[in-house]
Amino acid sequence: MKPFEYTKPKTVREALSSATRHSHYIAGGTNLVDLMKKEIDEPDKLLDITNTLPDQIEVKDNGVVIGAMVRNTAIAVNKIILESWPLLSKAILKGASPQIRNMASAGGNLLQRTRCPYFYDLTLPCNKRKNGSGCGALKGNNRMGAIIGYSDACVAVHPSDMCVALAALDAKVNIQKADGSEETMNFLDFHRLPGTNPEKDNNLPENALITSIFVPKNNFSKHFEYLKLRDRESYAFALVSVAAALDMDGNQISEARLASGGVAHKPWRWTKAEDFLKGKQATAENFAEAARIAAEDTAPLSTNAFKVPLLKGAIETALHTCLTNKA
Amino acid sequence: MSYFFDSKNTEQMPKGRVEGIAKVTGKAKYSAEYDIPDVTYGVMVGSTIASGRILKMQIEEAMKAPGVIDILSHENKPYVSGFSGMKEMPDNRFGLPIFYTDKVYYNDQPIAMVVAETIEDAMFAASLVKAEYEEAIPETDFAKKAKEVSLKETENDRGSVGAWENAPYKVDQEYTIATEVHNPMEMHATIAQWKPNDKLVLYDKNQGVNRVQSVISSLFDIPTDNIHVISEFVGGGFGSGLRVWPHTIAAVMAAQQVKRPVKVMLTRPQMFTMVGYRPESWQRVKLGADKDGKFLGVIHQAKNISSKIQGFSDGITRVTRKIYGFKNVKTEEAIVDLNVPMPTWNRGPGDTTGCFGVESAIDELCHELKLDPVDVRLKNIAPYEMETGLPWSTNYLNECLEKGAELIGWKNRNPVPGSQKEGDYKIGYGVAVGMWGSGRSYTGASIDMQKDGVITVRTAMTDIGTGTGTGMQNVAHTVTGIPKSKIKIELGNSDFPKAPSQGGSRGMASVSSAVYAASLALKRKVAGYAWPDKDANTLNIDDISLSDKGITYKDSFLPYADIFGKNNLNDIKVEEFAGPGEERKKYGFCSSAAHFYKVKVHEKTGKIKMDRMVIVADAGRIINPKAAANQVIGAGAGGIGMGLLEEQLIDFKTGRLIGNDLAGYHFAVNADVPLIEVSFIGKPDPNINPSGAKGLGEVGIIGAAPAIANAVFNATGKRVRDIPITVERFFNA
Repeated sequence: MKPFEYTKPKTVREALSSATRHSHYIAGGTNLVDLMKKEIDEPDKLLDITNTLPDQIEVKDNGVVIGAMVRNTAIAVNKIILESWPLLSKAILKGASPQIRNMASAGGNLLQRTRCPYFYDLTLPCNKRKNGSGCGALKGNNRMGAIIGYSDACVAVHPSDMCVALAALDAKVNIQKADGSEETMNFLDFHRLPGTNPEKDNNLPENALITSIFVPKNNFSKHFEYLKLRDRESYAFALVSVAAALDMDGNQISEARLASGGVAHKPWRWTKAEDFLKGKQATAENFAEAARIAAEDTAPLSTNAFKVPLLKGAIETALHTCLTNKA
Repeated sequence: MSYFFDSKNTEQMPKGRVEGIAKVTGKAKYSAEYDIPDVTYGVMVGSTIASGRILKMQIEEAMKAPGVIDILSHENKPYVSGFSGMKEMPDNRFGLPIFYTDKVYYNDQPIAMVVAETIEDAMFAASLVKAEYEEAIPETDFAKKAKEVSLKETENDRGSVGAWENAPYKVDQEYTIATEVHNPMEMHATIAQWKPNDKLVLYDKNQGVNRVQSVISSLFDIPTDNIHVISEFVGGGFGSGLRVWPHTIAAVMAAQQVKRPVKVMLTRPQMFTMVGYRPESWQRVKLGADKDGKFLGVIHQAKNISSKIQGFSDGITRVTRKIYGFKNVKTEEAIVDLNVPMPTWNRGPGDTTGCFGVESAIDELCHELKLDPVDVRLKNIAPYEMETGLPWSTNYLNECLEKGAELIGWKNRNPVPGSQKEGDYKIGYGVAVGMWGSGRSYTGASIDMQKDGVITVRTAMTDIGTGTGTGMQNVAHTVTGIPKSKIKIELGNSDFPKAPSQGGSRGMASVSSAVYAASLALKRKVAGYAWPDKDANTLNIDDISLSDKGITYKDSFLPYADIFGKNNLNDIKVEEFAGPGEERKKYGFCSSAAHFYKVKVHEKTGKIKMDRMVIVADAGRIINPKAAANQVIGAGAGGIGMGLLEEQLIDFKTGRLIGNDLAGYHFAVNADVPLIEVSFIGKPDPNINPSGAKGLGEVGIIGAAPAIANAVFNATGKRVRDIPITVERFFNA
């Protein structure tokens, strides 16, 4: 690890004004420290923002505001979250390990970088790490790679579980910029697809900080599931994950949400499948059709064709579980 | 020198491991944890190509980094007699001639070591070391190259192929297993410290201190006795500590070069490239039987990955010649050398791999014949040691099968695949067996008794987490009668009586004999001091017993204080050695195990869950039931890894490993492992050694992977012949 300077600003404003081209903000550090150890990120200066950002969960009339510094565990075990947004809690608890969740911040979870092995090995080509060097995974070992929304430049997937739930729940991201102005971004617009500049993971403006995440009220707290399929039962990234939520009127689906992790450069919403389910009866046939509709837009890479049937099975299973998973 | 428990606290001896409290309180020191004055830190730098030659090391930037003392490479190294003149090696007994070659044989081959004042300095400087290469195209694809490599006879054939080739029932299938990495929890580390007069002290993570001594002795041309190796606590090995690897040699070289002690700790990613692994393999099994399931003959062919540095054959077909009474056997093997790191022995080497082929093929045959896989195995167990013709000393594999079938409720299994369900899961049961040749090696142990009656039992053997020390205490207690609270254990130190490496399931079978002999010797020696008028050597040893207070012979009792006092003694010392003898010419020896597993397979997602695992082992006498069960539980968890999870991927183009860390490489975690139900036959082997213990380290994993695959077949009708059964392999089967 390259030697670096470490400071601890007291306010968001101070943090933003202390930033330089070669500085990095650090909150939980659960991903950044790895990146520094691997010499992928070599900041000259770390600005510890743990004292600057809100660390409270606040209930509003129209939803809940989660401070950027709330630790992942604190969200997952929060009584209000468990009552009204249980999908979020379940997704968080499927991620990482208890130790990592205890450290990781809400804002940091959005900003974690891909775990694509080509990104993590400095000797291998990776456009995300160094644009123009090529994508080693495209024709290499890409079993963990994307099946939708990728480009020739990058086939990496976003690693978060929490973000899949936030995508399904139409969250919003509150941002403070260096000039003092604030901005609110739809969660679905926050992360981006790789295109030709995969080095950019998201649309967070230059030198800005996520201050909080807003999750609107919904009727999904009764029928939900976060199903994570992975190589082992704990401490493994998703091969495919599915956040499913249904708003039910008897056996009729008034509204459906379906999102996935492990399939794309960003948490992916299966909107066509959601539209199909809207107004339909909750039957095995309709669930299978929704899965088929979602999968029809996918195009697997050389070594991850298995992700397509896995995705279909996961969507069907998650939707079924929604019916019995009553909070 | 530390020891396994606090001597001031002997009354509070743990009921479990002798070293348990030291381990859980952090008092136990692992190799990297010794605090050596004036120590420097070495960090290994790996190559970034898989094949070619180093034209020039680029170390200028790194040398300028803070705290850097020196950078070793083939351009800058001390004289090592064993490596001199080895520029174009390979195939020598030391493996990679580190810093004595400019050739690159695999990616991440150590090509330099930075030595610096702190670990942080050394790591940063290591990131700045580069090399200019002349690059060649590497060979990295096992499946591709294996096709081009011809098989060779193992020259252990029996009978004739012709005798069964027209058997009425035959299976002919191919099986593959991915590369599996040991990944003990403790990463390999060495502290090397040169002392005046060519003396060397090594704190080193390994599985055999005497082996390290002899390798370093011959490499550096210094007497064995000059080398003191300390490996008191070892956080797991699984075979990765049976060799002396380049980082240990580099530490010794660096300490010589910088004239200060050097500490080297491998990083987790380096654990995947620098200390071996179980090589990827291919097998073809042709098995013939009559309609009743009596085996008529077998051809077993196997190939495994090897490196370009040193040939390594895993011995995959050996187990086929052993378990069953095949009258006609043909076995062929080959190694496939690639630009990959060196493989080595990994728990149950060879046999674990071979059993996947043979035990799967047997399951396929039973399915075709509509015969019960337990009955067929019982019918075919080798009646004697097939390779030598010697009678088994003991072989209770049949009892393992019978007991396991009972425990899992085998009779309720429906042999029709895919016919049993629990909720959204299909369920299935599978069986497979394993066998491992038992043996022991020449091993020493000493006992030192103090005036207060406390004894310390010592051996050079390491305890890699298997419970060696606890077993030694159990034997010493049983034989002498001294309470366990008065028995200290010290091991893993080359100053103690010589012992073999702890590997091949030989640890307990060997050291228990030595401790047994030393315990008897102690009884006689104390008796001799207690009653000088009697000839201690002729006394009936069973009439002598020791306690925490003193010695008893028949009706006479003498306290230790009197014995030490009247003889003017400070301590009483004995040292004994024990090893195999004539029994090896009379009998065949084996440990064995039967695995009965129940799996659940999710219908829509293909998720495979281990639901029950019953493992019954015949390992002779079980010296410490807790430690023994612990061994088998660990092996069972390793079996889940092999069967379902563990697979070291490689980028074929560059030869870089893919996902070589604990997040990317998936061994089983607790959430993957059900309660593993372990039981033992527990009958002592009367011939192997005085304790009757046959060894247990390997058999717990041999047969585990095929039992999983066979259960998956019973659950789903899908025969997965390539493991681990990751979701893609399951879907494709």
